[in-house]
Amino acid sequence: MGIRNKTLKVMNSIKLMNKEKKTLDIMNSLLKIFTALLVIVFVLYPFLSVFGKALYSDGRTNLSEFQFIKGEFYLVKNSLLSASITALLSTTFALALGLMTFFVSERQKKIIMFILLLTMVSPPFIGSLTYIELFGRNGFITRDILKLSINPYGLWGIVSVQTLGFTSLNAVLLIGYLDSFDKTMIESAKSLKANTTSILLDIVVPLMKPAIAVSFLLSFIRSMADFSSPMIIGGAFNTLATEAYLSIIAKGNSPRASAMSVILFIPSIIVFIVYSHFLKQQQSASKNLRESQTRMKKSGVYHLVKILGLFFILWLIIQYLAIFTSAFTDKYKGEIYFTFDNIKDSIPHIRDSFIRSIIYSIIAGVFSSLIGLILSFYSYIMKGKYMKILDFISNMPYIVPGTFFGLGYIFAFNKSPLKLTGTALIVILNLIFRQLPMSIRTIQSSMTQIERATLNSAKDLGAHNLYILKDMVFPMSYSGLFLSFTNAFISSMTTIGSIIFLVYPSRKLATFVLFDLVSSGKYKIASVLSCIIIIVCLSVSLLSYRIFNRSSKNVS
Amino acid sequence: MKKRLLLIMLLVFSMIIYAGCSKETPDVTDPGVTDEQNNDIGNEVEETEDRLDFGGRTMNVVTTSEKYVELFDAFGKEVNAKVEFLSMSSGEVIARIEAEGGKPMADLWFGGGLDAFMAAKDSGLLEQYVPKEVDKIDSRFVDSDNYWIAKGLTVVGFLVNEEYLQEKGLETPTKWTDLADPKYKGEIIMSNPAISGTNYGAVKGILDMMGEEEGWKYLEKLNENIPFYGKRGKDPEEKTVAGEFAIGIVPADKASFDVAEKNNLRVIYPEDGIPWVPEGVAIFKGGDGVDIAKAFIDFMLRDENQKLLAELDGKDSAQMIKEGIEGYDLGLPKDKLIEQDISTFGSMRENILTKWEELTKGK
Repeated sequence: MGIRNKTLKVMNSIKLMNKEKKTLDIMNSLLKIFTALLVIVFVLYPFLSVFGKALYSDGRTNLSEFQFIKGEFYLVKNSLLSASITALLSTTFALALGLMTFFVSERQKKIIMFILLLTMVSPPFIGSLTYIELFGRNGFITRDILKLSINPYGLWGIVSVQTLGFTSLNAVLLIGYLDSFDKTMIESAKSLKANTTSILLDIVVPLMKPAIAVSFLLSFIRSMADFSSPMIIGGAFNTLATEAYLSIIAKGNSPRASAMSVILFIPSIIVFIVYSHFLKQQQSASKNLRESQTRMKKSGVYHLVKILGLFFILWLIIQYLAIFTSAFTDKYKGEIYFTFDNIKDSIPHIRDSFIRSIIYSIIAGVFSSLIGLILSFYSYIMKGKYMKILDFISNMPYIVPGTFFGLGYIFAFNKSPLKLTGTALIVILNLIFRQLPMSIRTIQSSMTQIERATLNSAKDLGAHNLYILKDMVFPMSYSGLFLSFTNAFISSMTTIGSIIFLVYPSRKLATFVLFDLVSSGKYKIASVLSCIIIIVCLSVSLLSYRIFNRSSKNVS
Repeated sequence: MKKRLLLIMLLVFSMIIYAGCSKETPDVTDPGVTDEQNNDIGNEVEETEDRLDFGGRTMNVVTTSEKYVELFDAFGKEVNAKVEFLSMSSGEVIARIEAEGGKPMADLWFGGGLDAFMAAKDSGLLEQYVPKEVDKIDSRFVDSDNYWIAKGLTVVGFLVNEEYLQEKGLETPTKWTDLADPKYKGEIIMSNPAISGTNYGAVKGILDMMGEEEGWKYLEKLNENIPFYGKRGKDPEEKTVAGEFAIGIVPADKASFDVAEKNNLRVIYPEDGIPWVPEGVAIFKGGDGVDIAKAFIDFMLRDENQKLLAELDGKDSAQMIKEGIEGYDLGLPKDKLIEQDISTFGSMRENILTKWEELTKGK
């Protein structure tokens, strides 16, 4: 530093800049490689391990595990059938709810959104829990109110429970889409005196096509992957996902489970490719973000929309009332009475598992959002060539059933150098990478709002990639990051399929305990636990919504 | 505002750090305390009052139900150890050990159908141990090579909704042969025996009682009356309680009697023969807490703990394996227990289940 010579100083600083640029470049590549490695090791490798288990045994290719297709083709048929019906119904209901928002006040819309949020934060199998109590042969509604004795099991049981569970996310998707698109067309149609039916059917619905397709396909994939509902209310109607799960727990046959998962994967990947196509359309269409409330006359097709929408909301409300009441009541010889016993009984089940669940979910939320941000930065903003492939790979956990992903983790990480089975790390990693696709989606859709020109000008001014990421993309993706954190947190709190085979005695998670309670028929205590999970998830969503709203106001 | 954000981030990171730390502190071993415990295979001399102290180490347990928590806690307190447990079906235990490359996920395996224990013994997953007081146990319930021991018997009965049957003009079934009567079509629920140890016990018991040929003929007829098989062990009880079915094939223990009392149902011990299945206990080979697991088995076999176990399991005295242990009086007629061949529980399992699956395909 003793050198005072001006020229030398300038030269030195140039050198320094070069040097700094070099370090930055190295850091940049390191970050890229590190992220790529993470995805390859924790997504692709476990994924391929399942294929390996299904296809190879004793060191050679062995297709014998696939023979079940011949004898048990009905499994494939059942899965496809129930997934198609569920997807159709849950999209129809979601569409009705979406269109309903055109006719209700801001306040009513908020209430609808809150009820929808409630189902999204509930563990997936609690639908089946209340279903039998309400609609069973001896159910409260079917027998006590409607005086019917119907068989609740089988295809329609599964379809009802799944529809109830999946519609909410679809509806939120559709409502979000409706909010974002340009309403001027509707306004002009209205001024041309078009009636409600034709506005909805000729303008709105066609415009929503990509979003409708996305929610249909999403429900299809989710239904194919769901093993818990068919297990509880499927009766004699068996599906692939359930059978794969049972192959493990009843037969101890993991190659068979792997083979079934591989077959299950085929329709899902096809559907996913179609889905990505529509998703792009949806993203490119949703550019307009002006909030505007459009009202229409309540006539024509509106009545159908209203009936469907109200029916669904009523159904949801009944379900949640049932869970809540069952947490606080018990039955003795047919007499229902109020009690706190269930809550008292639930305390030993809560113990450490709840705190552990919350901590794991926070970690999963933070890291899946960060990794999602970095991946999206390289693939979506920088348009890196190989990064596109990586982006596709990182979507895998989303397409495959949770049990598939969990099995993959066992097969992949049961030996050194990556021996992780039995550690907390394997569960956390599984949660992180299972949520990654959703995080990438939310972050990328928030990135659509970043003006590319701004980034390019920063680049032209010599800003390094890393600084663009840190100082521009990161703050500009705040909304996406918050949303992705919340999503990942909630999913991690409520997920079961992917972690069910990874949990060890000292590492139980809340959903696992809940699933166990449901499996062993302790519905009362299960209801208490469900309520607690719902409350935790709701508080976190509301809190993060609050923080985000305030911080985004601060920014603007 | 920024401050609050910072605060939350801080919270998040402190939690991460907490989780990171908690990962790294498993099972601190206290050397020197336990070595003498390791080499007492074959040592049946009672050397109690040598208070065991495991220095807060952890024993991991896979078990069938969380209801044993009281027993585990009592043990943990006595020997200064921590007991962590996970409930899991026996099929899953075997599948996971296999999938994870042979390393057992726990030290102790507590409960579950004996067939799985026999399979685990054959695959070399279990540790040999001769517990203290083994001489006071019916030798049928101890493995001849000392790999497993039974902790009690599950007996199979019917849970019956008599009110519902009366409505339909049907009488209460009292025998297995009654259940095959076409008039009960659609009213009976049973679990898949591949999943439920109790229901595997029922199928095995029926085959032992009637003989292979007659037994399968009977099961074929019974199958006609059962619309589908539950995919969870608890299905029969639960669905009978919910009024979905009139007759459930259930484990006839105190819990079932309680459920019956509470819901106006009845538990019936079948008059023509009561199937039963021993529940196993074994130590996994190669775990960190093998010595603690051994101490646990000795602990479990002590009279006062047998009594506690009978209470937790809700067992009749006739369901206990140690002589002179008094359980509940559930009125179990000991002479009606079917003459079953224990040795074939494991060896016949695959055959029985394959045949059973063919018989009931698609249900």
